[in-house]
Amino acid sequence: MTKQTDVVAAPAPADVVAAVHKQLGERVTVDDGGALVVGPSNLIDVVRALRDDHGLDYLANLTAVDWLDRFEVVYHLCSSAGGAPIVLKTTTDRANPRVPSLFGIYPGADFQEREVYDMFGIRFAGHPNLKRILMWEGFAGWPLRKDWREAYFEQEHKPLTSRWPDGQFFFGEDKLTDWGSNTKLPPAYTGAEIGRPKPQEGQYVVDIDALRRGTSFGSDRLVVNMGPQHPSTHGVFQMRLVLDGETVVDLEPVMGYMHRNHEKIGERNLWLGNMPFTDRLDYIAQLGSEWGYALCVERMMGLEVPERAEYIRVIMAELNRIQSHFWSIGFLLNDLGAFFTPSLYAIEEREIVLDLFEMATGSRLMCNYMRFGGVAYDLPDAFMPLVNVLVNERMERAIDEIDAYLTNNEIVMERMKGVGVLTPELAIAYSTSGPVLRGSGVAYDVRRADPYGIYDRFDWNVVTANEGDVYARYAVRIGEMRESLKILRQALPQMPAGEILGGKKAWQVRVPAGEHYARVENPRGELGYYCVSDGKANPYRYHVRSPCFVNLTSLAEMCKGYKVADVVAILGSIDIVLGEVDR
Amino acid sequence: MDAIELGIVALKCLVIVAVLLTGFAYTTFLERKVIARMQQRLGPNRAGPFGLLQPAADGVKLIFKENITPVGVDRFVYFLAPIVSMVVAIMAFAVMPVADPITVTIGGQVREIRFQLADFNVALLYVLGITSLAVYGLVLAGWASNNKFALIGGLRSAAQMVSYELAMGVALVSVVLVVGSLSMNDIVDWQVAKGLPLIVLQPVAFGIYAITAIAETNRAPFDFPEAEQELVAGYHTEYTGMRFALFFMAEYINMITVSGLAATLFLGGHHLPFVERFTGNLPWFVDIGVFLAKVILALFLFIWIRATIPRLRYDRLMAFGWKVLLPISLANLALTAVVIAFLAR
Amino acid sequence: MGENWAFVAILTVIALTIPILGILAAMVLAPKRPGTIKNSTYECGLETVGDAWVQFKVQYYLYALIFVLFDVETVFLYPWAVAYQSLPLLALFEMIIFLLILGIGLVYAWRKGALEWI
Repeated sequence: MTKQTDVVAAPAPADVVAAVHKQLGERVTVDDGGALVVGPSNLIDVVRALRDDHGLDYLANLTAVDWLDRFEVVYHLCSSAGGAPIVLKTTTDRANPRVPSLFGIYPGADFQEREVYDMFGIRFAGHPNLKRILMWEGFAGWPLRKDWREAYFEQEHKPLTSRWPDGQFFFGEDKLTDWGSNTKLPPAYTGAEIGRPKPQEGQYVVDIDALRRGTSFGSDRLVVNMGPQHPSTHGVFQMRLVLDGETVVDLEPVMGYMHRNHEKIGERNLWLGNMPFTDRLDYIAQLGSEWGYALCVERMMGLEVPERAEYIRVIMAELNRIQSHFWSIGFLLNDLGAFFTPSLYAIEEREIVLDLFEMATGSRLMCNYMRFGGVAYDLPDAFMPLVNVLVNERMERAIDEIDAYLTNNEIVMERMKGVGVLTPELAIAYSTSGPVLRGSGVAYDVRRADPYGIYDRFDWNVVTANEGDVYARYAVRIGEMRESLKILRQALPQMPAGEILGGKKAWQVRVPAGEHYARVENPRGELGYYCVSDGKANPYRYHVRSPCFVNLTSLAEMCKGYKVADVVAILGSIDIVLGEVDR
Repeated sequence: MDAIELGIVALKCLVIVAVLLTGFAYTTFLERKVIARMQQRLGPNRAGPFGLLQPAADGVKLIFKENITPVGVDRFVYFLAPIVSMVVAIMAFAVMPVADPITVTIGGQVREIRFQLADFNVALLYVLGITSLAVYGLVLAGWASNNKFALIGGLRSAAQMVSYELAMGVALVSVVLVVGSLSMNDIVDWQVAKGLPLIVLQPVAFGIYAITAIAETNRAPFDFPEAEQELVAGYHTEYTGMRFALFFMAEYINMITVSGLAATLFLGGHHLPFVERFTGNLPWFVDIGVFLAKVILALFLFIWIRATIPRLRYDRLMAFGWKVLLPISLANLALTAVVIAFLAR
Repeated sequence: MGENWAFVAILTVIALTIPILGILAAMVLAPKRPGTIKNSTYECGLETVGDAWVQFKVQYYLYALIFVLFDVETVFLYPWAVAYQSLPLLALFEMIIFLLILGIGLVYAWRKGALEWI
């Protein structure tokens, strides 16, 4: 059922840029960073040429930067066959920001464009459903613009000298109005209905009657909100379902209940101060999140990571992947209605890995372990024997056990096979990543496609499955746990002694001006960090490309035509973590 | 019917209700303990020794919980539904024989005391009729709540219970065919006389009965009306406190009833059909113990299944009921009829 | 025989008192602190969109109709089954024909797609 494929090498981004430049002539220019720059009017043509003629069929990341005099929309495109992403930029003026939407070329741009609209107010012409996605409807203001001042913490110069300038000991929030004095509220807002504004003209109008309007024999459709307070949405996530009987006719994911504007806070924090903050993104796969951020900043600073630290990172990240997949398989079964037994068996293994994390980092979930140029602490002496036992003896058995009980279980197969099918073409077009993409038969793993760390030293395979259904995603996860064990078995004996933290020791890092998009393969998919530095002590722009968030773009496509119960299974197979979706 | 007999009947009724309520309480306790052990947990262990007082603590908590009545409900039906569920659940137990009759002398009169409230000659039909009334409680609750999850849960329960009731009814016809009576006592006596529990003669009917019994009581893997992952709590989403507790009680009492029915119809009831060939008839208190043991065994199976298997999908469940179970039970019935026609005559 | 129904009636009365007593006890003992948000209909923490009392799919009622048909026919089987062993062999063939008709009805409903849950 699962197969293991090797990814063919793709051309280097510089070659692609040169070729594009040659083909499209003066419509594109190349800036100093090697990025393609194109005007908004040419954007669609250029992107279509990039996709069709240069094989850049995968929109990895889409975000924007506020340069105070203009907005720059940044696209990272790459090929599903592998290779580093090329950067495409377009600029638009701040007064009336408008950029054509890439929705027609990459459906995966859907949520990412909505996020940029939500945060910057850039309108994407041609987007079919351009409305706020993370902030509440009716929120006045564009939070990631540089002139938007963050509630409670607004200061002219960031980072703050003190969070409590007057030495107050009460919470500043309590003294202010509902949302803080610097928050802009809609004109009609009275504060009586916190968080529930009256719909204004042209926004947030769900035409319930139109959605309900009937089918055969005058029967009605049912419009149901599933979530945010629902047992199986994995957190405060909402799906607005339109049901015909029990069949899903339409589905709209609604998110942002846990939005805390991670990126704005990240831009206020010091560079290193963001490190523990990344733990809060995907709290099931915390160390992978840290690694992505560390990788991005290291590349911007040109830091070398010592051998030992690289090995520690691989060991931690792969342990992390195993425990995360255990968790997601356990809870997928929970979503199928198994009464907690599989998840508790899976959690038992996860707890052991978390014990090891606690031993090495001092914390089970919020590890705060990676540093720019290495890791924070060396492994304690007792760590290696334990991890050896775990990897060589216990884990394999645990995976076999899960595999034996679940993989060929009649009901499990009945519920998972043929449900939520995503074809490979659609999976790529929707920019899905991780087990969702590989479950559709696309052998795309950032560890292989765009290698980082020392993954090229190990012998391992990219696990794929061809069916593209819930069962395929489950099978990919089982296979990946085995591959992670394989990597661990190779990495553990090779572990060298030596330094764990390279570079100059400093409390505050200096990141040279520039930008970089670094990505790692987190258990849930491609986790990317796009950082822009202007040489100051805090990032000028800090963007997280969240795999959960982008994978959700394909949710509606996967769910239509299936039953209510399948929606839960499909959501479970995407395996979202709301901390990362909402950021 | 004189005063003493009336007193005895009233006492029996009270005993039935008391036993069912205690049974409900300790079934929940058993379930929590057993599932906890199956999941490598401890389960409730704080209230009393081994947590044995946990059901009492739960009951007290539920009585002191606020009853929230949502604004949109149809109030009369909303209040009625849990009562319907509960009454129906208790009544189904009336025909269950739990031991052989004994004779005692009360006030100089020799009286026979049956360990059974009502000995109908149509007892099986009575049980089927009463248990199929149980669907009203669920449907009314689902509809009256004016809540979409409850509505879907209620509709599901209606469709599921009627579908599986059909297969169950046809499967039980083959039992009647073998025994030739609808009376519970006749069925038990037949098994004792032949020295064989009916499960041996009618394994297919027993299998279908077991599956449909799980579906009729809305237990995992057929717990669709209250499928937590999809419908939050299904038909009792809008019920709190004591009113929720009534649905909960009804579900567990129904479990006890169908377990008792399985014991009576297929496992020899309060007798040990094969063993009693050698030991002779056992005294009444052993009978009760035997019956209890069989019921607890069946309850344990319920719990075991719940801890093990994920839920089916609803359309598959309906297809299974109509397209697999019903044809099989019809075929089983025809086969039984043919075999009896040519063997038993 | 008739007295059995009287016994069941007594049980019904007692069975009725149990839930009513429980609800009354809760009414007396439980706190009552209603609030607009607390008493609103549950829809995962949001305001409800549209009414729950809708015209549900028509296929759903098909199940009810088929059930009624089959259940009535099943009821016919019970007296036959009770008396079967004292009936002549003809009863077997009569009932086999009856079951066949039942089976054909099932196959018909099946082929017509009435057994597809929507």
